[in-house]
Amino acid sequence: MAEKSKRTEVEDVDRSLYDFVKSEEGYERYADGLTPDIVRSISAKKDEPQWMLDMRLKALEIYQDKQMAPNWGPSIAGLDMDHISTYVSPKTKQAKDWNDVPADIKDTFERLGIPEAERESLAGVGAQYDSEIVYHNMREEVAKQGVVYTTIEDALHDPKWEPVVHEYFGTLIPPTDHKFAALHYAVWSGGSFVYVPKDVHLDYPLQSYFRLNAQGAGQFEHTLIIVEPGADLHFIEGCSAPKYYEANLHAGAVELFVKDHARLRYSTIENWSKNMYNLNTKRATVGADSKMEWVSGSFGSHVSYLYPTTILKGDRGSCEYTGITFSGATQDLDTGCKFILLGKDTNVSADAKSISKDGGVNTFRSSVFVGKDAQNARATVSCSSLMLDDISRSDTIPQMDIRNNTAQVGHEATIGRISDDTVLYLMSRGCSEAEARTMVVNGFADPVSKELPLEYAVEMNNLIKIEMEGAIG
Amino acid sequence: MADNTKTEPMVTLERVNTPPAQTWNYLKTNDITLTVPKLSRKGDVYFALPRLFDKVETGMGPKVTDWVTSQAADATYVEVRAGEKNHAPIVVDVDSNACVVSDCGVMVRHDADATVVVVSHGADDVKRTSAALVRIVVESGARLRLVEVVAEGDAHQHLESVGISADEGATVEVRQFFLGAGTTAAGICCALRGDDARVDLQSHYLGQGTQVLDINHVVRMAGKNGRADVRESGILNDAAHKSLRATIDLIHGGSGSKGNEIESVLVNGDDVVNKTMPVILCDEDDVQGNHGATIGSVDPQQMDYLMGRGLSREQAQDLFVRALFDDALIEAAHPLARKAVFERAAATLGQEVACDLIDTLGIELPANAEPTAPTSREDASNA
Amino acid sequence: MSQLLTISGLSAGTDEKPILHGIDLSVGAGETHVLMGPNGAGKSTLGHVIMGDPVYKVTGGTISFDGEDITDKTPDKRSLAGIFLSYQAPVEVPGVPLYSFLRTITQMRPELKTTARKFRQRVGEICDQLDMDQGFLTRELNVGFSGGEKKKVEMLQLLLLQPKLAILDETDSGLDVDALSVVSRGIEAYRKECDGALLMITHNTRILEKLDVDKTHVMVKGHLVAEGPASLIDDIDQNGFARFEQAPAGQKVEA
Repeated sequence: MAEKSKRTEVEDVDRSLYDFVKSEEGYERYADGLTPDIVRSISAKKDEPQWMLDMRLKALEIYQDKQMAPNWGPSIAGLDMDHISTYVSPKTKQAKDWNDVPADIKDTFERLGIPEAERESLAGVGAQYDSEIVYHNMREEVAKQGVVYTTIEDALHDPKWEPVVHEYFGTLIPPTDHKFAALHYAVWSGGSFVYVPKDVHLDYPLQSYFRLNAQGAGQFEHTLIIVEPGADLHFIEGCSAPKYYEANLHAGAVELFVKDHARLRYSTIENWSKNMYNLNTKRATVGADSKMEWVSGSFGSHVSYLYPTTILKGDRGSCEYTGITFSGATQDLDTGCKFILLGKDTNVSADAKSISKDGGVNTFRSSVFVGKDAQNARATVSCSSLMLDDISRSDTIPQMDIRNNTAQVGHEATIGRISDDTVLYLMSRGCSEAEARTMVVNGFADPVSKELPLEYAVEMNNLIKIEMEGAIG
Repeated sequence: MADNTKTEPMVTLERVNTPPAQTWNYLKTNDITLTVPKLSRKGDVYFALPRLFDKVETGMGPKVTDWVTSQAADATYVEVRAGEKNHAPIVVDVDSNACVVSDCGVMVRHDADATVVVVSHGADDVKRTSAALVRIVVESGARLRLVEVVAEGDAHQHLESVGISADEGATVEVRQFFLGAGTTAAGICCALRGDDARVDLQSHYLGQGTQVLDINHVVRMAGKNGRADVRESGILNDAAHKSLRATIDLIHGGSGSKGNEIESVLVNGDDVVNKTMPVILCDEDDVQGNHGATIGSVDPQQMDYLMGRGLSREQAQDLFVRALFDDALIEAAHPLARKAVFERAAATLGQEVACDLIDTLGIELPANAEPTAPTSREDASNA
Repeated sequence: MSQLLTISGLSAGTDEKPILHGIDLSVGAGETHVLMGPNGAGKSTLGHVIMGDPVYKVTGGTISFDGEDITDKTPDKRSLAGIFLSYQAPVEVPGVPLYSFLRTITQMRPELKTTARKFRQRVGEICDQLDMDQGFLTRELNVGFSGGEKKKVEMLQLLLLQPKLAILDETDSGLDVDALSVVSRGIEAYRKECDGALLMITHNTRILEKLDVDKTHVMVKGHLVAEGPASLIDDIDQNGFARFEQAPAGQKVEA
C-alpha cells in the first residue's frame, strides 16, 4: 500500500471564514413553499409595475409545469421547495455608507473583506444579504461618467430606467428556459442593474457580493448589465453562505448585453456552503467586434448546474471562458459553458480545469454551436481534470454541432492524476514531495488563478494548500 | 417476406443508440429514433443464442437487441476453439435483398485468433431496413479482428449493433467503414473486463447527399491496465447529417488503464450537420483519459504538403474520399467485403476510379466472391 | 546558357518579419547546387519560397522556372511544372494510405500516367531500390513513421515523380548511417535516371561526398554572401562560417 501513502492530500476550503451565522430575529420571512400569493406579496412589497407582476405569475405557471431532464445532471432530490422560503429580508434600508448598515450585517461583510476591497480596488460595490441589497455605493467620478450601478428594484422606480429594464429584462434568459429559470422569474429579488454608456471605460471593477445567511431559504438575485458600444467593464460577483443541514437554494439569473466594439469581463467566485443547490443561469449576447470574458471559480455548493452561455451574433465577436471547479466530499458539481456562434469570423475559446477529491464529483459539460452563416468561425474547447484519489469522479461531456464548412473547431480533454514522474523530477531538483505536489496542483490551477482579481487569487491559492501524509519525518 | 413495403406493420424504436452519459436534450445528440418493420412470427420457434450473450452489452442498446432477436431468422452461433489460430473468417453477410436481419454470436476461446467480417450491402434503391446484431465474447489471451462494412444504397436503412466482451489479455481490433446507406445507425460497445485487455477501434465514414449517420462508440474499461485507442475519421459532403457519440468509461478498479479517443472530420458540403459528443467518464485516479476532435477543412500544413506534390485544393479533398475506399479495400479482410466496397466505390467515384483502386492494390474480385484471393498486403509485396 | 531556375532580387518573409533579402540564384538543367549556412540563415525559407509555401510572402523580385515566371503560382502548379521540395519534417496525413496518395499524384501528370499494373511495378522497384518494406504502402501517409522512414517516403516520391528540380531540405538530418546511405542511393538514382537538377540544403558534408557539385552557395542572415565551386564545401568543413558571418550584409565574400 505504498501507493496509497503517496496520495495527495489537498485541504478543504477553509470554511471558518464563511461559517458564521447571524441571528435572523426580527427579519421579514415569507412562508415556505410557492403560491401565487407569495409571488404577489413579493411584488407588492417591491411596489412593482404591473408587467413585472404579470411576468412573475406567468413564470410561476411555467415553473409548475416544467420537469427537470430525467436523463442527465446531478440529483436534486434533496431539494424540497415546500421547505424553502423564497423571501427573507433583514429589516433595514439600503445604505450608501457602511456605518448605516446594521452592525451584525456590517460585521459579516467586514469579515468577508468587502469594505476593504471597496476602498482599495473597486469602482463600486453592492452587497446583498438574503433577499435584499443592504449596501450599494459607487465612486463619484464613475457616476459622473454616466455609469449606473443600482438594484433592479431602484431602476424600476426611476422613470428614466424603468423602460430600459422593461426592454431587456428576461429577454436573454426567458422564463421558459428551464424549470429553475422559471422559478427565478417568479420570485426574483435583489441583484444589480448596470449601465455603461457609450465609450466609457471603467478603470476599476464593480463588485456585487451575495450572502445567504438565512436557513432553508432561497436567493434569487437578478443581474442585468448593459455595455453600450465602445464601452468596457469588469464586473465581479462573489457569493458565500454559512453551513446548515437544511437545503438552501440559489437560482439567480445573469443577463449580459455587450454591444458592438465593447468588452465585458465577468468574474465569479462561488463559495456557497455544502448544503446549497446552485441552479444558476448566466447568459451573454455579444455584438460585432466585441469581447466577452468569463472567469469562473466554483468551489462551494452541494449541487451545481452552471453553464455560462455566450451568443455571438455580431461578426468578429469573441469570447473566452476560463473556469476552475473544485469538488470535494458530498459535492456534485456540473459546470461548463455553451457557445452559440452566429456571426462571421467569430472566435471562442474555453479553458476549463477541475480537481476532484474525497469522493467529489465533477462534470464538465459544454456545447458549441456554429451556425450556417458563421463563416470562418473558430472554436477551441480544452478541458483538463485532475483526480486526487480513487473515490472521486470526473466526467467530461462536451458536445459540438457544426453547420458551417469553413469553421475550424477543436476540442481536447485530458483526465489523470499527478504523474509520479513529475513529482520525481521535481524532487530530484530538491523539492520535498509535498512541495512538488503543491507545485503541480498550483501549476494546474494557475492559468485560472492568474485571471482572478488579486484577493480571490490569494484565497484560491490558500485553498490549494497541500499537505502530504508523512511528508515531514 | 423480405418485401417490406408500406403495408407492413412498423414499430418505433425510441431513443436508441444512447451513450452511457447524456447531455442537454434540446441539442438532439443523445440518441436516434428509428422506425423499423415489425414482422409477425406467431407460432414459429427459432434458434436463439446461448444465454451468456445476453450479458454482452451492445452499442445500440437493449431495444434494438430485442427487436433484432424478435425479427431474425435462426441466430448464428460460431465457436473458435481454444488455441485455434487459422479459423477462416467468420462472415456475417447482410445482403439487403435476401437476409434482412441477422443475429450472430461468436465465442472466441482462450488463446484463439478470429476474424469476423460483417458486410451489409445492397445496391438497389428500394426502401428497406436491414440489421446486424453481433455479439462476441473474447476469452483470455484471444485475439479478435472485426471488420464492419456498410455499403448500401441511398434509400436503405441499416442498423448495426455490436457488443464485445474482452477477458484478460484479450486483444480486439475493429475497423468500421460506413460508406453509404440512407440511414446508418451503428453502435458498438467494447467492454474490457479482464486485466491487460486492449482495443483498437478505427471508424471511417463518408456521408453524402442527405444521408444520416448515427454512431455510438462505447469502451468500458473495467480491468486493470486496459488500453483503448479509438479513432474516428470522416468526410461529410452535401447535406449529410452525422452524429457521433464516443465514450470512454474508466471504471473504478480499472487502475493503470489508458483510453484515447480522437475524431477528425472533413466537412465539404454547405448543408452538412455535424454533431459530435466525445465523452470521458472517470471513476479512478490511476488512469489516463484523453480525447480530441478537430472539425473543419484539411489542415493547412497537410494542404501545403499535398499541394507541394501537385494537388489542387479540390484534388486534395477528393484524395481523402478515394483514400477512404482504398483503406476499406486494404482492411476488408474478405472477398465479399471487398466486393461490397468496390461496388460502393463504383457508385460513388465512378466505375473507372473504382477499377483503378482495385488494380492499383492488385485485388482480384471473383464474380462469385470465393475466398480465394490473397489479402492485399501479401499481394502488394509480391508485386 | 538557359537556366532552369532563375531567382532574381528575391525578398520574402512572414507577416512578422522579413527573412530573405535580394537573393539572386540560378540553377541550370541537370546541375547540382549546394546551399549552406549557419542555423537560422533562411536556407529552408528559400526552399519553401521556391515551392510557393503560403506562409511566406514575396515582397520583391521574381522566380522563374523553365522559362516561365512562377512567382505568383500556387504550389500545386509549381509541382506540376517540375519542382519538388523534400520536406525537412514531412507532414502526417491520417486517413490517406500511401498507395492512394502515390497513385493520385502520378495519375494527374500526363507524362507519368500509366496503368495500375505498371504503376505497381514501378513503385515496387523503387521500394527495392530504397530498401523499403512494401507494407508501408498500405499505411497512412507518414503517420507514425520514424524520421528515417519519412525521408524514405520523400525519396520514393522523388524517384516516382522525376521532377526537373529537386530541392532537398536537410534530407540528411537526424538519420542513422544506414538510412543515410539509402538517401544517398536515392539521390544518386535520381541524378542517374532523369538527370534532374538538385539544390541541396544541408549542414552535413558527408552526403555530398558522392555528388559532383557544380556550385556552392553560402547564406547568412537571409543574404547570399558567397558563391563558389565544390571546393568551398571543404573549406567550410574545416573553417566553418565565421568569415562569412563577419562580412557586411549584402556583400559577397571572395571565395
